Amino acid sequence: MLDASDTPAGQRPPALTLSRRDFIVAGATISGGLLLSLNLPAQEAGLPRAGGPAAAPRAPSAFLEIGADGRIAITTPAVEMGQGGHTAMPMMLLEELGGSWSQLVVRDAAAAAIYNNPLFGAQSTVGSFSVRGWYVELRRIGAAARTMLVQAAAAQWGVSAGECTVAEGRIGHAASNRSCGFGEVAAAAARLPVPQDPPLKPPSAYKLIGSSPRRTDVIDKVDGSAKFGIDIMLPGMLYGAVQQCPTLSGKLKSVDDSEARAVKGYHSTVGLPDGVVVLAASYWQARKALAKVKVQYDLGAMAGLDSAGVSRRLRAGFDEEGRVSRNDGDVATALTGAARTLQAEYEVPYLAHACMEPMNCTVRGDDAGVDVWCGTQSPQAAQAAAAAAFGVPVEKVQVHVQYLGGGFGRRGEADYAAQAAAAAKASGRPVKLVWSREEDIQHDFYRPAAAVRFRGGLDAAGKLVALEARMVSASSPSFAPPNGPPFFTGGVADQHYAIPNFRVTGIDKKLGVRFGFWRSVNDSHNPFMFEGFVDELARAAGQDPLAFRRALLAGGKPGAKRVLGVLELAAARAGWGKARPGHFLGLGCFEGFGSFIATACDITVKGREITLHKVTTAVDCGVAVHPDNIRAQLEGGMAYGLTALLRGEITLENGAVKQTNFTDYPMLSMAEMPLFEAHIVPSTEAPGGIGEPGTGPISPALANAIYAATGERIRTLPLSRHGYTFKVQRSRA
Amino acid sequence: MIKLTVNGVPHEVDVEDDTPLLWVIRDAVGLTGTKFGCGVGACGACTVLVDGELARSCLLPVSAVAGRAVMTIEGLSHDKSHPVQQAWLAESVPQCGYCQSGQILAAVSLLKRKPHPTDADIDSAMTNICRCGTYNRMRTAIHAAAAQTAKDRRG
Repeated sequence: MLDASDTPAGQRPPALTLSRRDFIVAGATISGGLLLSLNLPAQEAGLPRAGGPAAAPRAPSAFLEIGADGRIAITTPAVEMGQGGHTAMPMMLLEELGGSWSQLVVRDAAAAAIYNNPLFGAQSTVGSFSVRGWYVELRRIGAAARTMLVQAAAAQWGVSAGECTVAEGRIGHAASNRSCGFGEVAAAAARLPVPQDPPLKPPSAYKLIGSSPRRTDVIDKVDGSAKFGIDIMLPGMLYGAVQQCPTLSGKLKSVDDSEARAVKGYHSTVGLPDGVVVLAASYWQARKALAKVKVQYDLGAMAGLDSAGVSRRLRAGFDEEGRVSRNDGDVATALTGAARTLQAEYEVPYLAHACMEPMNCTVRGDDAGVDVWCGTQSPQAAQAAAAAAFGVPVEKVQVHVQYLGGGFGRRGEADYAAQAAAAAKASGRPVKLVWSREEDIQHDFYRPAAAVRFRGGLDAAGKLVALEARMVSASSPSFAPPNGPPFFTGGVADQHYAIPNFRVTGIDKKLGVRFGFWRSVNDSHNPFMFEGFVDELARAAGQDPLAFRRALLAGGKPGAKRVLGVLELAAARAGWGKARPGHFLGLGCFEGFGSFIATACDITVKGREITLHKVTTAVDCGVAVHPDNIRAQLEGGMAYGLTALLRGEITLENGAVKQTNFTDYPMLSMAEMPLFEAHIVPSTEAPGGIGEPGTGPISPALANAIYAATGERIRTLPLSRHGYTFKVQRSRA
Repeated sequence: MIKLTVNGVPHEVDVEDDTPLLWVIRDAVGLTGTKFGCGVGACGACTVLVDGELARSCLLPVSAVAGRAVMTIEGLSHDKSHPVQQAWLAESVPQCGYCQSGQILAAVSLLKRKPHPTDADIDSAMTNICRCGTYNRMRTAIHAAAAQTAKDRRG
């Protein structure tokens, strides 16, 4: 039961390794135990579902099974892409259950509505929503199960349930000196009614939450045994290589595979709306055959678009009509009456996600049913894509989620699943489709390019009295309600500084370039622009940037207080005001994904060479579920943001992406990774997100430090465009 | 048919001569710990050891390794007990984990050449890409593995 659900038939066993589940708990599979299915009304209350009505989970226990052997299998609604979902989800449930970490078995959820995140009603591991969304529900499930197990044990012993204690997967009754493991009473407990409103522990009573047990996924990531989507193998499987139209708007016109037929192993070519999949007996043969297939495209409306045109059209948007996201006081009057006004324009380019694991998906199916294996952040989207390709209801599609070799928002899309399904349907064979890196870079759903024009007004005392932001970018209907303010003003429109006259307008530009969620989304670039301009205002006011921000946050609402808390902490730990000779500090702070974050950069500059000495980040993410993983996410998020800041840039030429691979879309290297220090503010507030907030603050912090050092204001990215070279210094000297 | 040895086991594979070693290891031999990342030798996800030397297998035609000994991540230990693997676990290095097979082999190779690497040694030897930003933890783990190995030798 335990293994059948997610191990594809015929997959070759890993060589010389223990599997993850065997390593955690050796023993028999779970059977005959407690199968717990709770009614969870909160997650169904009027929320939309992705991918239409989804199948009910096959097992009655959607989240938890306790085996007679004491093993605790937890099905996690969050997939694992390195962010720690397979650890944080079980921790929350186990905290209330009282189970032992060593008894834990983790399973990925199938695509089903019961796994819809209570916060937004879809089964997607996105938006740093997993811990936030499941914090209450998973603890409820754990508490309900504990209650049932205790009741079963108490009934067996003829004692009061209230006298029983639970710890480490065992129930005890001290007065009668009796104890038993969960597994011994699991079957009896399963016959009891499920309490719907069990009491939950206060954070002060947490034992597991707030500790840092070894992440459940790392054990198989040191010997090659961890299974990613790309590692799936099925009997009789064909391999698919894909080529898509070079322009982002193009359509397939014609295909000639006559030369490809001579390639050994070649099977067939399957047409896609915007490209082809070439199938062969091996992946290398598929790649060779693909190179021989002659494809004609209709290049589409975007064929003339280049990056200069994108920039021109974005900046033209400054003077166009938009939708107002926030309008406090009277900005126009206040700017006119200001003692000093400032105007500045910021711009950032498109970015690709560049997950280390290229997009891939394996599909096997017929009219009776379809199986899909892939790393995906949205199992329901992959399910819907495969169902559409095969013309079957979604209930007939099973999605087997694998580890993701990076997600960062890219794997929330299901384009690659649709292609694999189309190829499997057309060929009548199981197909593993694997993208090349070139296809990955050139056919992403890009972080949208964006530009902002700020105007700010200071009074005679240097106090910020007015701020206007006109923000131009691209927003899709799925990002925000129709007729609402554009999605991309988020993070600026709801910022926490007290500004009496404050207006934010979003101008939505339809440029045709497909875009999506890129780690930290708006906060990947809005803090660079907004916190950069706040720094400009501080300097114009002749004030210390920390003191200027402090004044704007003082006496504010709870959110402002929490921003101020992390700002003060990061500044203090970075030695603000006490920089070593020749060193300069820069700051950036904001609220994002329900967490509050501030970063300080310590740099020196010699000519055009920047040396980054240390990055100091403070976060207030409410209850810190797994502090070690929080540090890892902050550090990794910083590296992701630093890569974009230094050299991240997707450019267009004739409607096609110019960059092709890591050679011309280069990544941060080991040698460029700065010293990083993370500080977590102790808190009992509900948890905030942690996978994404860490990406945003590095760019304003570093750009503001560059200003402090050189007087040069960086208003466009990447930094490489400004002629700077970059290195890090690890020693404290 | 091309003969090669992978992790001490002789294999005879029926593939074209120009097939990169990466795809032979993954698709013909069936060991999937070695990963495809870029196909141009730029990221190091496909790193293996050929006769003890680091190689990026996505660019290496299998004909070039005929008769040679290839070691993949699966051949490092049977039980995750190699000092580098142990250090990786202790430091909880991997995030998504996709690049880690290659990173670990690069670290193993570095430590073989330089049992006590400096930070500068690590910078120049560890050129594989990690998109999750695990670089600092890898650095700490490499130093820890070096210290542990030295301690074990002193016994």
